[in-house]
Amino acid sequence: MKTHIKLFSTVLVAMALLAGCGKKKAPDGSKAGSSLGGTPAKLTKVELDSVEEVEAFYEADPEFFRIKTTADIPVDLKWEDGSSEKVFASPKAKRGGTLNTSTGDWPRTLRFVGPDASGSFRQYILDSNALILVESHPQSDGYYPSIAKRWAVGSDKRTVYFELDPDARYSDGKPIRVTDFFFHFYFMRSKHIRAPWYNDYYDNKKFKNITLYDSRTLSITYYKAKPDVVEKVSIRPVPEHHYEEIDEDFLKDYQWEFEPTAGPYEVLQENVNDGVAITLTRVPNWWADKKRFHKNRYNPDKIRVTVVREPAKVFELFRKGELDWHGLSLPEYWHEKLPNDSPEVKKGYIHKVKFFNEIPVPTWGMRINCSMPLLDNQNIRQGLHHAMNWALVNKEIFYGDFDRQQTMADGYGKRSHPTVRVREFSVEKAEAAFAKGGFTQRGADGILRNAAGKRLSFTISTGYKRFTDVLTVLKQQAAKAGLELNLEILELTAGWKKTNEKKHEISFGGLNNSVELYPRFFEPYHSYNAYEEEGDKLYNADGSLRAGITPKPDTNNATLTADRDLDKLIKQYREAEDLDEITRLGHELIQRLHDHAGYLPAWSKPWYRVGYWRWVKWPDDFNVKQSRDWDEYHVHWVDTAAKKETQAAKKSGKKFPPVIKTFDQYKLER
Amino acid sequence: MHWKLNPITARKLKRFRSIRRGYWSFLLLGGALLVSLFGELLMNDQALVVRHNNQWYFPAVADSYPIKWIYTPKEPRTGEFFGEAKDETGQPYSGLVNYRLLKKTWEAAETESWLIMPIIPHGPDGNTFSEGVGKLSAPSREHKHYLGTDGAGRDIAARMFYGFRIVMLFALGFTLMVFFIGSTVGCLMGYFGGKVDLLGLRLVEVWANIPFLYMVMIMVSVVPSKVGMSTRVLLLLFIMVVFSWTSMTYYMRASTYKEKARDYVAAAQLLGAGPLRIVFTHLLPNTVSTLVTFLPFTVAVAISSVTALDFLNFGLPEGTPSWGHQLRLGQEYIREKPWIIGSALTAIFLVLTMVTFIGEAVREAFDPKKFSTYE
Repeated sequence: MKTHIKLFSTVLVAMALLAGCGKKKAPDGSKAGSSLGGTPAKLTKVELDSVEEVEAFYEADPEFFRIKTTADIPVDLKWEDGSSEKVFASPKAKRGGTLNTSTGDWPRTLRFVGPDASGSFRQYILDSNALILVESHPQSDGYYPSIAKRWAVGSDKRTVYFELDPDARYSDGKPIRVTDFFFHFYFMRSKHIRAPWYNDYYDNKKFKNITLYDSRTLSITYYKAKPDVVEKVSIRPVPEHHYEEIDEDFLKDYQWEFEPTAGPYEVLQENVNDGVAITLTRVPNWWADKKRFHKNRYNPDKIRVTVVREPAKVFELFRKGELDWHGLSLPEYWHEKLPNDSPEVKKGYIHKVKFFNEIPVPTWGMRINCSMPLLDNQNIRQGLHHAMNWALVNKEIFYGDFDRQQTMADGYGKRSHPTVRVREFSVEKAEAAFAKGGFTQRGADGILRNAAGKRLSFTISTGYKRFTDVLTVLKQQAAKAGLELNLEILELTAGWKKTNEKKHEISFGGLNNSVELYPRFFEPYHSYNAYEEEGDKLYNADGSLRAGITPKPDTNNATLTADRDLDKLIKQYREAEDLDEITRLGHELIQRLHDHAGYLPAWSKPWYRVGYWRWVKWPDDFNVKQSRDWDEYHVHWVDTAAKKETQAAKKSGKKFPPVIKTFDQYKLER
Repeated sequence: MHWKLNPITARKLKRFRSIRRGYWSFLLLGGALLVSLFGELLMNDQALVVRHNNQWYFPAVADSYPIKWIYTPKEPRTGEFFGEAKDETGQPYSGLVNYRLLKKTWEAAETESWLIMPIIPHGPDGNTFSEGVGKLSAPSREHKHYLGTDGAGRDIAARMFYGFRIVMLFALGFTLMVFFIGSTVGCLMGYFGGKVDLLGLRLVEVWANIPFLYMVMIMVSVVPSKVGMSTRVLLLLFIMVVFSWTSMTYYMRASTYKEKARDYVAAAQLLGAGPLRIVFTHLLPNTVSTLVTFLPFTVAVAISSVTALDFLNFGLPEGTPSWGHQLRLGQEYIREKPWIIGSALTAIFLVLTMVTFIGEAVREAFDPKKFSTYE
């Protein structure tokens, strides 16, 4: 089963989703200069044929929406087209067949934005389907062409120029036009889409300008010269011809309307079987079918997504072969429910694969509320780190499958800290740290007490019932170090609510990180996200925190970290434009946050595992480095002949060689 | 005052005893409950008796209610305390002692010191990872995990046993409260009659139509997160009572109506007794036979409701030994580890059957037809 990670707050949810879009998307990719299917459309002047209201919207902000001519494109631009990047799909892939998969709940809408749009079904229609201007290459730090066939970063390092692929079409056959990127901003800024995060993200703070030069060329200007500016401004076109304008009826009108997509799969009305299943079909003559980076991907003709609410039933359907695959990342599934000696595996019907990927590690761990009494003491916090026996948890509860997470920013390549290591379980070191915090005497129950007679006792709150066993073991082990842990296991939403209201002592949970070049520190560790007060109202002259300050709810700073020096560093980090500088400052921040010990890293899982029926086929090296899951980049295919063969074999009892494989070509040695 | 059973009551009890099935169930279940109150002496990871350096220690006894309230040792009973330097993982043994290991160490070293462990040397919360038993392990006589271990490596037998104690106490508490509220309200309605009855009965009808399980689930899920664990248990009990007391009122109201018309009530009124005195000292004892017949069934309802709620995650707080949690775990591993669900189902089946047997016997023994003058 895929690990679902509840994100801390709406803000971050949206952020991850958005960045997710940037990363997860897929296809198109034409080899530079090669244009497929007919003569390239002639370059013409940009003509807006928007409805009045939309045009008025553009005119109201002439600084942002600008129309120029081909002659205005700087001549000294260094155009790139990703031709030096390697193709990652397999030439062996076969087209055709139907892929059967499942989702836990009937989607509440087919819209991409607005209320209820970010459900788990969205990945099928947006996150791993829609195309954006330029896609991040999942095997390198580079990019490959998608809707834009080439791009160039301007001399200010903030403006990116894109030239659209003349072949680019929506699934309804209409061409993608430069004006659809104007419309993207109109759409995302509309109040009627009821998506405040998008409204905010796409306003003038981060995006400074979009200029159309001719029928194929545009540029987008970001607010800062970031090393990954190309991916920051790579947006998706919003089909103006489909919407024309957005009014207060948007939610109602488009609830079950599939927006024409540039991507390979579309949802046709006749394939929506209410409450039962949705079948995605491949767009006929998809425009990017033969483009270099989209070829041999998106192979099945159909993807049938069935709604199955009960996880146990999902697994049974998979074992029967009605679903083609099932995640096995949870140790219980890999070791207990589908062990290597189960009949389907032994007979070679179901293959088991473990694939090491390289993505930012989700921060599963404990967030220690530094505003609480005793927990405001760094020694106590460091003692807590030493009192948690994650090694035993991994060995006994996770069958030794997981790695220990080292810092709050693992999996960012060179941006992760090369030497900082997490504090290990040690009764002696924990006792020493607690002693520095004033806890020296053990009571009759073995729990430490300070001079005032106060017991060393904290409550861990969590919304993750499935990790109760983990916390139970930690609690038993912590008692060895003289620490009492009380467990507060809540409903998922209640658990996060408590953390978001900053009422926890210690909060246990996981926060997803978007696949990005370098980690974020402002959201989780800047004082702006910890307290309502700022500056002198927050800090005394000596840098200590004032009394009576108010924790700020609904932010990601769940450790309530507020430190004047850290604030300064984070500001520098955010303003840095050079990757080496970002790396240097990042390392310093990681080291300081490690010393600060507000965040207690738990485990990391630098791989995913999947079980699939033998008719699903994969590239020789299975998948790409930066894939979060096996289906994200659509490099698999369904072998219909093998499916028939397997189904016949199931009846006759014929065996195939069993396949249980580990792909560790991207495994990092630490 | 010389306490003597009312002859009718004595006959009822005699009749109850003569219904063997119910009587034996009563003895068994009552006995089990009594024993479970001293469970810490039977299933515990603390030693019963320790003899060390010519001193006596009784850790399990000090662990048991109600002794715990009166006596707790002052010094921590750590490994160091008993002369252990390092624990099995090489960590300094400053935490609480593992008596099972200590016993092995002492036996191997043939020291003067010795200790006796309870019959099942596992508590409901400890694990035996360090002794080589993982989570979800199969029943094993060698490690005295007679029903195997659960997802955190805890002994299932111990958790079932302590779960029994909790669910029984919970059910008894529930029954008492439901009876108290239900019969008071019912008696008062019956006694006063008229508008009180008319209005009261309508309110009760409305209240009784609120779906019990849904309400409990909704209320439990909105309990503020700052509420502590033991408060949560009491709160669950309270919420369940609030939505289940109504059924008793109908019966009590009817039998009060019947009794109220009798002469002794009029006599009491003439003597100047107030309504409360009449209800509680005259009417209630005479309607008690109605009450008693419902008692075992209310207990059964309470046991199954709290187990169902636990199973659905709306019951006792996570971590509490509970049959519902055990059932959930068993269902999850129904294919791979059938003994987990097997033991939970067996326990529930046995207890509910016994309660039902008792209920039948009580109903028969208290059947007014058996004691009418026409017999």
